[in-house]
Amino acid sequence: MTEKITPEEIQKIISSVPLLSASANQLLQATTDPDHDLMQIVNVVKTDATLTARVLKVVNSAAFGLINEITSLDRAISYLGERLVVGIAIGDCAAQLFDKELKGYEGEHGALWRHDLRTAIASREVVTQSNSTINPDLAFTAGLLHDIGKALISDYLQGTASDVLQKIENNEFSDYLAAEEELIGFDHPRAGYELALVWKLPEPIAEVIRFHHTPAEASEEFRELVYAVHLGDNIAMMGGCGTGADSMQYMLDTNYTQYVDLHPNALANIMLVVNEDYEKLERSFSEAGE
Amino acid sequence: MGQIILGVGDYGASNQSGEEVKTFALGSCVSVVFLDPKTRTIGMVHVALPESSINKAKSAEKPGYFADTGIPALLAQMAKFGCNPKGKGMVVKLCGGANVMDTNDTFQIGKRNALSIKKILWKYGMGAVAEDLGGNFSRTVSVSVDTGEIILSSPGRPNWKL
Ligand SMILES: [Fe+2]
Ligand SMILES: [Fe+2]
Repeated sequence: MTEKITPEEIQKIISSVPLLSASANQLLQATTDPDHDLMQIVNVVKTDATLTARVLKVVNSAAFGLINEITSLDRAISYLGERLVVGIAIGDCAAQLFDKELKGYEGEHGALWRHDLRTAIASREVVTQSNSTINPDLAFTAGLLHDIGKALISDYLQGTASDVLQKIENNEFSDYLAAEEELIGFDHPRAGYELALVWKLPEPIAEVIRFHHTPAEASEEFRELVYAVHLGDNIAMMGGCGTGADSMQYMLDTNYTQYVDLHPNALANIMLVVNEDYEKLERSFSEAGE
Repeated sequence: MGQIILGVGDYGASNQSGEEVKTFALGSCVSVVFLDPKTRTIGMVHVALPESSINKAKSAEKPGYFADTGIPALLAQMAKFGCNPKGKGMVVKLCGGANVMDTNDTFQIGKRNALSIKKILWKYGMGAVAEDLGGNFSRTVSVSVDTGEIILSSPGRPNWKL
């Protein structure tokens, strides 16, 4: 028998999660600002010794195969690009969430981080290959955070997975989202959104977290971005990289065509690029991990 | 027990008793399994996309990635174990090819993978005796040399056989 999560309880869960570091917060704000430049990113990283060390470790990891070691932060950041730097910052301070074993979804250890990383890459690639005006760095970062709510509610879903799958099959639940809501009173996008408010995440990212399975409900201003991550999420799951029993058990909103202009052949191309990039990035992050 | 683990676009074969060939988390990808009773050899290719024409460089580097180059590559590999290079006498099984919950066909790479594989098998005069395709869930697949049996697993579901 599952317990419902009350609004007070979700706040209690969130209060046990460490806040984002000041530098991660500043990086997220910068990424969201359409007028920022790379110098701003460099200046934020400089103020954070731990982050600086991590960035240098990642750029010099074997996965990138650099012949000469990069020792200057400026060069490291321009080589890795903004999104990876932001990704390293978030990955480090939210490690407790990303690394959480999602028992409620019967996910393997590390599944959330891998799914989020893959969604980040896929969302970026959707934006790039559809000639969108959305900043690919923003799509990446939003993709990285989209499922963070699963780490908050997973424990409450323990022991439900096989029953949920059965009920989706019998059309008693329309999809996994409906099951979460019905069983514990909170689905993972809404739980994640509560966290986004506490963390004071930039609005477009909070919006992605809240509506990534129901992009039509996002505010018009951010809807294109939300659709891009919606597709990125589905592409990640199609690549066999979900978070457990819920993988591929969400509705795809086929109205995405109104917001994302994907050529019929683009999907196969995107999947190819995502696979290759993912293997490389996953390796560089884990090699650089302590 | 020895294991040959295949990543996306990899293929492999074995005739070693006690060994198994395994691939993790097929979403829309399809695993094509060949069993050759005569030489007691098993083979598998983890196909990600239906056609190599979208990226020739990739198919040269990793033929297993695509249905149209992956099947010939696996047959050539199995020929090294003494199997018929055209696949004569082999038993074929297919697994994977899942789809997201989608009401139109744009995102049905899983379905397109399966179709493309069947078309190529047909050219060789081969057909699958068993398949576990489609649905909205990912599959981990392993085949054992000794039994030729395929064990499938997916989070939240009991394991099953093919
Ligand atoms: Fe989600
Ligand atoms: Fe997701």
